[in-house]
Amino acid sequence: MMKSAPLHWDAHRMSAATFVALLLPVIATVILRGPEMFAPVAIGLSLGLLWSFVFSVLRKSTVQWHSLISALIFVVLLPVATPVWQLVISLSFGLVFGDLIFGVRGRGFLNAAVVGLAFLLFSFPAIEPDSGAPQVAIVAGLGGALLLAYGVLSWRIVAAFGLCIAVLVPFLPASADLQNLQSATVILGLVFLIGDPVAGASTHLGRWLYGALAGALVILLGQAGVGLGSLSSVVFAALLVSIFAPLLDQIAVYANVRRRAKRQRYEP
Amino acid sequence: MRKSNLHHLTAPLIDNNPVTLQMLGICSALAVTTALDTALIMGLALLTVLATASTLISMIRAHLPSSIRLVVQITIIASLVIVTDQVLRAFAFEISQRLSVFVGLIVTNCIVLGRAESFAMHNPVWPSFLDGVGNGLGYGLILMIVAAIRELLGAGALFGVTVMPLAAEGGWFEPLGFMLLAPSAFFIIGVLIWVIRTRRPAQVEPNDFPIILQVGEEKS
Repeated sequence: MMKSAPLHWDAHRMSAATFVALLLPVIATVILRGPEMFAPVAIGLSLGLLWSFVFSVLRKSTVQWHSLISALIFVVLLPVATPVWQLVISLSFGLVFGDLIFGVRGRGFLNAAVVGLAFLLFSFPAIEPDSGAPQVAIVAGLGGALLLAYGVLSWRIVAAFGLCIAVLVPFLPASADLQNLQSATVILGLVFLIGDPVAGASTHLGRWLYGALAGALVILLGQAGVGLGSLSSVVFAALLVSIFAPLLDQIAVYANVRRRAKRQRYEP
Repeated sequence: MRKSNLHHLTAPLIDNNPVTLQMLGICSALAVTTALDTALIMGLALLTVLATASTLISMIRAHLPSSIRLVVQITIIASLVIVTDQVLRAFAFEISQRLSVFVGLIVTNCIVLGRAESFAMHNPVWPSFLDGVGNGLGYGLILMIVAAIRELLGAGALFGVTVMPLAAEGGWFEPLGFMLLAPSAFFIIGVLIWVIRTRRPAQVEPNDFPIILQVGEEKS
């Protein structure tokens, strides 16, 4: 978050910033894929609204509209050939168990879109995702730049992610298709899944470790699995690394405590 | 049967369920619930061990020196588990292969030792027996519910009999592969706990981290 920002950054403003950044990739995807995207987007948005509403009634609280953004991310990354009922089940699972069940946004530790996509990929392994059009990758990068400027997306995570991949690429076999590491799936995944501030680490050192671990996992799961930059490698890397995020933060805090204790010993 | 004795049998079914309230026996509840038949056999095995162990321990409770009571309890439980395991291998070999180590692991199941230590050590034989049966039934009930959901959605079958024909075999049902993985049992047990605690608010634990609205946010 920007230190100089005079605005009050509450949860609504964070959601609004993410929404603005997500708008371009969504529009680009809809234009490129044509009318077949209308139904998934409409269904996704209605599901997001429905579950937020159900939980606001259950908890007697205000409606959390971040579910709409989770639904949009989910729909953009969704493989084209997914049947509607699989979309409904997976997205509902992701929204309810990944986000809403924890209470207000920020209480959970996972990204709802990641949980939904992981459910989809686990349950229906026959689905073959595509890596997305290069135009989508470019506008997703623009969205990421906007979030970086706002400070919603941590530059440390992005830098560590990029550095780690750059270090690991020379170790890959020559047959590896490096072009896939700049696909829309990877860029969208980095900006909106791995870079989600709720799922990610929140200390400086923790963010460096988090980004590096995410990059290493994307390479490892991609190389060992379907292929570099595939949807499953990005989603499972995001899922695994967000489970590690609290531990990484804990390591950062512990290192901080140790350093301060040492300093105090020398300056009595 | 007196009413208070009946209570020992019925209370562990929902009000004091070993899985959903005391959170015991979760490990085996994840492992054996991919199919109904394994869940049923596991439930019966635990019921047998638990009821017999509680009865035996209650019988000797007055003669048991406190310093060695855990050793004696574990010896009794382990002997019963070995017998149960051998009986299963002799008469239901296929099922016992599918249950693999989990019948043997009843020794380490916290429900058995927990009931022995907290109930059978302080109560007469008949209530201890009923308490053992009740807890075994409570555990088995949760196992059967979880297994029914997982087998139906994961394989389209109940007790191995096809209920919903799979798409891969010419039917219409596309199974949820996720249901055959252990995490799905976590989610199902979680939802069960949610439903039970909504119906019985007395089971709800205090909220250690209540949601506090930020300054400027509307109070609902």
